[in-house]
This record gives sequence, C-alpha cells and structure tokens, in this order.
Amino acid sequence: MLMKRQIPLLIVIVVGLITLFGHFIANEGVQNFVDNDSTQWYDIIASFAIFLGGLNLLKLQLLKIYKKQKNWQYSILAVVGFFFAITVGFFFRGANTISVTGINAEKVEQAAEMIAEETGESTSSILSSISDPSADYELQKIYKTHGGAEDFSQKLEAYGETQIEPIEWGAHLSATRGETGSLFNWMFVYIFTPLSATMFALLAFFVASASYRAFRIRNFEATLLLVAGIILMLGRVPIGEYIPAWLIGVFFVMGLGALLAPFIKNRKITLGIVAIGSLIFLIIGFTNGWNPAIPGFFHLPVMQEWIFQVPTTAGARAIMIGIGLGIVGTSFRIIIGIERSFLGEQ
Amino acid sequence: MKQFLNIIIKLGSIDRRYIFILVGLSVLIPLIRPIDIPIRATSQSQDVFNALDALTPNSKVLVSFEYGPSTKPEIHPMSMGILRKLFSDGHKVYATALWPDGIFMSVEALNQTEEEFSLEYGVDYVNLGFRPGNEAVVKGVAADIRTLYTSDTRGNHIDDISMMDGINNINDFDFVFSLSAGYPGTKEWVQYACDPHDIPMSTGCTSIQVTEVLPYVEAGQVKGILAGMPGAAEFEKLVNIPGEATGMMAAQSFAHLVIVAFIIFGNITYFLKRRSDKKNLGEK
Repeated sequence: MLMKRQIPLLIVIVVGLITLFGHFIANEGVQNFVDNDSTQWYDIIASFAIFLGGLNLLKLQLLKIYKKQKNWQYSILAVVGFFFAITVGFFFRGANTISVTGINAEKVEQAAEMIAEETGESTSSILSSISDPSADYELQKIYKTHGGAEDFSQKLEAYGETQIEPIEWGAHLSATRGETGSLFNWMFVYIFTPLSATMFALLAFFVASASYRAFRIRNFEATLLLVAGIILMLGRVPIGEYIPAWLIGVFFVMGLGALLAPFIKNRKITLGIVAIGSLIFLIIGFTNGWNPAIPGFFHLPVMQEWIFQVPTTAGARAIMIGIGLGIVGTSFRIIIGIERSFLGEQ
Repeated sequence: MKQFLNIIIKLGSIDRRYIFILVGLSVLIPLIRPIDIPIRATSQSQDVFNALDALTPNSKVLVSFEYGPSTKPEIHPMSMGILRKLFSDGHKVYATALWPDGIFMSVEALNQTEEEFSLEYGVDYVNLGFRPGNEAVVKGVAADIRTLYTSDTRGNHIDDISMMDGINNINDFDFVFSLSAGYPGTKEWVQYACDPHDIPMSTGCTSIQVTEVLPYVEAGQVKGILAGMPGAAEFEKLVNIPGEATGMMAAQSFAHLVIVAFIIFGNITYFLKRRSDKKNLGEK
C-alpha cells in the first residue's frame, strides 16, 4: 500500500508544489528544477511511455488474434506493421550510400554518365562535382541493401575509389538522397502517407452526407448554426467573392421575414411580405444601379471574417477560460491529494 | 405537382453513395481541368506576411512542423510558402517537430527549398527533428535547447553545426512559426515559449483548428494566422509564388458549393416531408 499509494501521492504532491511555487520563488535551484530538470524528466518519462504504449498495442492485438475476436484478421496486419516498423527502425537500417573519389581525368565523363543514369541527376552537375580527383563525391541515391550498393560500387570501381557507408542510426529514419530514401522513409512515404491521407480525405464525403441528413432547420439555434455554417463555408473559399451583394440582400429580406413570422399568424402573408420585399429590393437595385460602395456586410468573405473575429473568438475565449479554471481546480485537487484517479482509484 | 413534390421528398432519402459521387466529382473535375479563381488575402494572412516581411535579413526563425500526412494537403503548401519567403529574404531557418510525422514533412519541405534556393545545410538551415514530450519539448526549447537537442536529424552533433553557435534558448530566435494541425502545436508555443519570453510568433494551421487559435491572434500574442488551405493560397498570392494551394482552391470552392447545395436541398425536402406528414395525419 505504501509503495502503491502513499509514495506516488507524495511524489505528485511535492513535485506539484515545487513546480507551482517555482513560478513565484526567485530561487535559482527551484527555477532550474522547474525550467530544466522537470521538463527533462518529462521527456524521459514520455520516451518510456512510447515503449509502454507500443507494448500495450501489441498485447491487445495479439489477444484479439488469439481469441479470434471480431475482425481479428485486421490485427494480423497491425502486428505485421508493428514488427516491420520496429525492424526497419531499430535493426535494419536499409540506408547505404556510395562515395567516390580519385576519378581518372580521362574517364570523368564516362563515370558522370554512368552515375547520372543510376541516380537520375544531371550529368553536368555530377561532372562539376567529380572533376576534381581529390574531391569526395557522395552519390545522390540511397541503397536499401548493402548488396545493391555493392553491385553498383563494383561497376564504379573501374573509374575511381569507392566506399559504401551506411547512414548513421537515427539519421536513417528520414534520410533521403534525390528521389530515394531509407527503408523506413519508404515505409512512411509509400504506406503510412497514403493510408493516413485516405482516412482523412474520407471525412469530406462523410461531412457532405451528414450535413445533408442532419443539418436541419429544426429550431432557432439550429437555424443560427446552419446560417453561420453556410456563410463560413462559402466565405472562406475564393468563390465566396463572386456571390453578388444583391443575393445576400435577398437573404437579408428572407431573414427579416423569418424574424417577423412568429408575429404573423397567416403564413401566406409572411410569404407575400418576403416575396414582395425581395422583388422591390431587386427592381430598385437593378433599375437604379447598385451602390458601388456596398457596405461590407453584404459580402460573404467580410461576414465570414466578422463571424471568426467576434462571435467565434468570444465563444472560444469562454471555453478556454472554463478549461483554465477546470485545470486549476483539478490540479489543486491533485496537489492536496483529493484527486487520486491517476493511481487507479475511483 | 403532387408527383413532383413526392419525387423531391424521395430524393431527400437518396442513397449516400450518390452524394459521395457528386462530392468526388466536384473535387476531381477542377483538379483535372484547373480553373483560375482570383484570391483575396484576408487581414489575418496579411498580418502573417507583414510580420515575416518586417524581419531584418539574417534573422533566426524557428519553424516547427506539427502535422502529418493526413493534414499534409492543408499545411504543406503553407510550409512551402513560408520557407520560400524566409529563404528568399535571407533568413536562417531552424526546423523542429513536435509530432513524429513532422520530421518527414520538414525533410521533404526543406529538401525542395534547398534545391530551389541552392541552400547549404548547417549554414542556411538546420533540421533538429522530433523529440517526444509535447509541451515539455516547447518548455525545453524555451529554457535550454542544447540539452534537449544534442544532435540533428542527420546525426551531426549540435556543437558541430555552425548556425547553432549562440543558440541556447528561445530568446536567441527572432521569430517562431508554428505549422500546426493540433496538439501539441500553436497553443503550446504561445503558452510555454513565445508569450512568456516575448518572442513574436505566427502560425499556419488547419481550418478546424482556427477557432482555438483565434483568441491568441485577436489578443496579439500570435501575429496573424494562415487558416487552412485558403490561408495557404492567400499567402502564396502575397509572396507572389503560386503553389499547390492556389491550384486546389477551385476544387475546394466547388466542393463547398456542392455541400451547401446539399444542405439547402436537404432542408427543402425536410420541410416538404414534414408538411406532407402533417397532411396525412390530418386526413386520418
């Protein structure tokens, strides 16, 4: 109990108090702890948390396969992907480079052409790099296997000295040369990127379908949300600029009609007011010509900017203040030991 | 008339696959046959441009990549626009990543700009890469970057990189730019680094994230905001280098139009159905 409850609680209380008071105490040691040590501790713990997360993922997926739970076949893919990423991240670099030096002046052009064919670079740029025999030139290509690098290195040895070097551990993850990259980079570019982009792109379709079915004018709040949503959707994109001010004017007349509707019992009269109002507005506008300096609120992009800057900011601030107060309250409960859910207690 | 209304009501419960096809076409057609739509920069995008334009040449700018492949179409054009602006103005770029995927985004963007501007690694730019720890990383950059980053993405020791000389913490940077698609991102840079140390910063983020960053923009803690793909297109217009985002504006415009048309049509069918249900109930 002491190890499971009291000591963790003590650590949390002490660290919490020091971090909190560190902002108000002008003591170098405390300041140093808050600014440097505590953040480094966090970094170290976060690094270990990644391992724990990975192990937990593996455990869950393996259990799913073992128990043949629903859609367990997908878990096989998850486990294979997991081990592939670990292998190319930690055990198999899949990133070898070839350097060439001391190319004979008579054979420089032939060598440049050969390298250009292999790497896809321009012959002239390679020529300028390898014409100095003392220069060490690294080919702009990464070979995923040592054997692949060795094959070309042997061909190149006819022109000069070559050396195969693997890219350093860690640096190999995102290493690229020209159009080629390490095995981990290949996995990211050709597997993770399209999968991830596809998942996100599907959102557009679901948003369209969901808006069609769920975005209904059921009450005042829903109407407000719908109108604001449409203004934002059209105002944010360049096509919003092309929606004429007179059309927005007609919508204003309709809005006026909607506001008057609760006070007029006969709907036909409301409809008449809106229709005649819109018609008068359009006839006057088109016959007399529209004012070239139409007020900003008749332009969708201006309306959209106003919605962003005033009601949205106000709402976001209210939410932020609420969250801030919530964090203060929860942190205080943790520091004084009332909140213990992080220990697994209720 | 009644038959026509019935058809419209039936269309209200149209199979969602038809909606998917129409949305897909509205995106695909403008991409295949590009349409030139003039772009107007909003005041927020203009603020970003002005803040970067005001930097004196050779300024040290920290650019943080906090996005991955899923949000790449929205944020990556911004990254390119920002990097092109910074390099063409002769600034030094220090890239970091708060997201593990961010490192790949930064490598891709920096490789492309290296070619375009004939840059030299370690002299014009450096890529410090990803460190786990979310806001603790931001706090670490603010307090002591050399303890946090001992080497860069290429495996070079931090002391061996010439442009890292004199860089110890956030106070040594002239500007911070956060390319953010969520947590950790812009908010963390404001709260833990830039605002406490009074370092000017700006941001480019996904459209969905704009609402949570706007209070900081309106308060002046963040100098402008590039909001989603339209923000990227506006920035491309301001720097006068048309890029990916400008080309995609027509597709996004038409997709939005189609969605709005669906919403309006959906409401028409909703009202017609409600009226017809009421009538049927009355007849019974």
